Amino acid sequence: MRRDVKVKFLERRALSPDASLLEFESDFLANELRPGQFTMLRLPGDDGLLLRRPYSFCDTDVAAGRFSLLVKDVGRGTRALTRLVPGDEADCLGPLGSTFTMPPDGKRPVVVAGGVGIAPFVAFCRALSSVGKVAVVLLGGRTAHDLYLREVFEALGMDVRCTTEDGSVGTRGRVTALLDEALDAETQLYSCGPTPMLLKVAELAEAKGVPHEVSLERRMGCGMGCCLGCVVYTSEYVRSCTEGPVFDASVIAWDRDPHPL
Amino acid sequence: MKPDLSVSFARLRFRTPLIAASGTFGYGTEYLEVSDYEAIGGIAVKGLYLEPREGCPPPRIWETPSGMLNAIGLQEVGIRRFIDEKMPRLRELGTTVLVNICGSTVEEYQELAHILDSVEGVHAIELNISCPNVEEGGILFGCDPRMAAKVTEAVRAQTKLPIIPKLSPNVTDIAVVARSVEAAGADAISLINTMPAMAIDVESRRPRLANIVGGLSGPAIRPIAVRMVYQAAKAVNIPIVGIGGITSHEDALEFILAGASAVQIGTMSFVDPSVWRRTLDGLEAYCERHDVESISALTGGVLS
Repeated sequence: MRRDVKVKFLERRALSPDASLLEFESDFLANELRPGQFTMLRLPGDDGLLLRRPYSFCDTDVAAGRFSLLVKDVGRGTRALTRLVPGDEADCLGPLGSTFTMPPDGKRPVVVAGGVGIAPFVAFCRALSSVGKVAVVLLGGRTAHDLYLREVFEALGMDVRCTTEDGSVGTRGRVTALLDEALDAETQLYSCGPTPMLLKVAELAEAKGVPHEVSLERRMGCGMGCCLGCVVYTSEYVRSCTEGPVFDASVIAWDRDPHPL
Repeated sequence: MKPDLSVSFARLRFRTPLIAASGTFGYGTEYLEVSDYEAIGGIAVKGLYLEPREGCPPPRIWETPSGMLNAIGLQEVGIRRFIDEKMPRLRELGTTVLVNICGSTVEEYQELAHILDSVEGVHAIELNISCPNVEEGGILFGCDPRMAAKVTEAVRAQTKLPIIPKLSPNVTDIAVVARSVEAAGADAISLINTMPAMAIDVESRRPRLANIVGGLSGPAIRPIAVRMVYQAAKAVNIPIVGIGGITSHEDALEFILAGASAVQIGTMSFVDPSVWRRTLDGLEAYCERHDVESISALTGGVLS
């Protein structure tokens, strides 16, 4: 069941100079959303924006009726969110889109995320943790402050491994460098992040025959499957808002999808 | 007494004057969970060709000031799949259904009209002669009054269904095109389709859309649309469906006062799925406040 609900902004936690975790109150969304799904968010009032913006759910607290979004300041839509003060309302349409699937018995989950691509994996790892599964979580960023929410994954008992391009934390280099040794026939892979990273991840997973679910970030107009603005090529153009945002990576025709945001 | 918000024209009845614009409401059922369908008078489904179409490569959309730029390129399922897979659920909605059709040749429009003529639950044909994002047909037919008339006439010969050509704003004189399709047998006209437009990312120096140019919709084009509805209404005797950036009952009323018998809402439905109920309630309150018994009485009521 999808609804357009008024949610109350509760608090902001700065994670880096340009990324924050925003907490909202909504019993409905906290209860309904599943890991991997997103919301189309809009702030009331004339802030000069027309369309809603899609944000992946980061985490939920069902008991408290709260959910969070991880937002990086990348454009006009995300900048508008920086003006929210506690008590403000926002319109959230959701929950929308497909979900990550739990790994089948006998498969060990491996999560690989770049930058804000980590967002959907907090709720996912919470779900894994609740059934006693431990994922290898590979986090990559340019520098230390891009490795968001590392402590949250550690608190959930995940096996967290980090890379930074400048070597300030963890292994120096790209997160894909850690992937090779983390993957084998008994693993199932989940990824989200910038397109060049996902391309590399998809290539590695395919070479090793590892099942791979990928969450894709696209410009969206409606989130409801009507504007056809967010398409991704498989054997035809499919909507990342309804068939995705989580896809079986093997169906994506990466060469037909040089998608800059 | 409650004002009558239903409208009837071109042998069609709409329970409200608010119609979902083609290309923004899928095949009709996508918004069932979040929009109040009782407030929607009719649905114009996504433009259809004889065969399925892949559409333009992404990026396909970009937001501009008060507007949305798109180049979807009419990705659609083709008329057969529409009839087999989409039409059954659309019929169940019990709303007035306009099927928007598009072709690269006059013959394709004819064949589509011929097929639709016998499909139960199809109430009218909206002729898409104004899509800016396809290489052949589309806007090429709509920008030339003779071609617009030729398509309309050819379709007229194939169907008894009401025909509503959807006109492009990309013309020198909308009155000429409007008169031309009226003479060719159109039952009503709808306008405007999106305005051909472009945006560039100056950092990368690349167009924002893969198709380079696209169609602009949303409040940014509303005053242009109101002007064109006004001019078309002065030029023809057939009813007009006004389209262009409607977000509220005030916006809808501008079109109605300019000469529209009904309006279509598109981009705003993406932004606010409750636009239908909100706009309809606003129209009702307006009619009560102005002692208007029927919304139809306001059509063309602008003072000059």
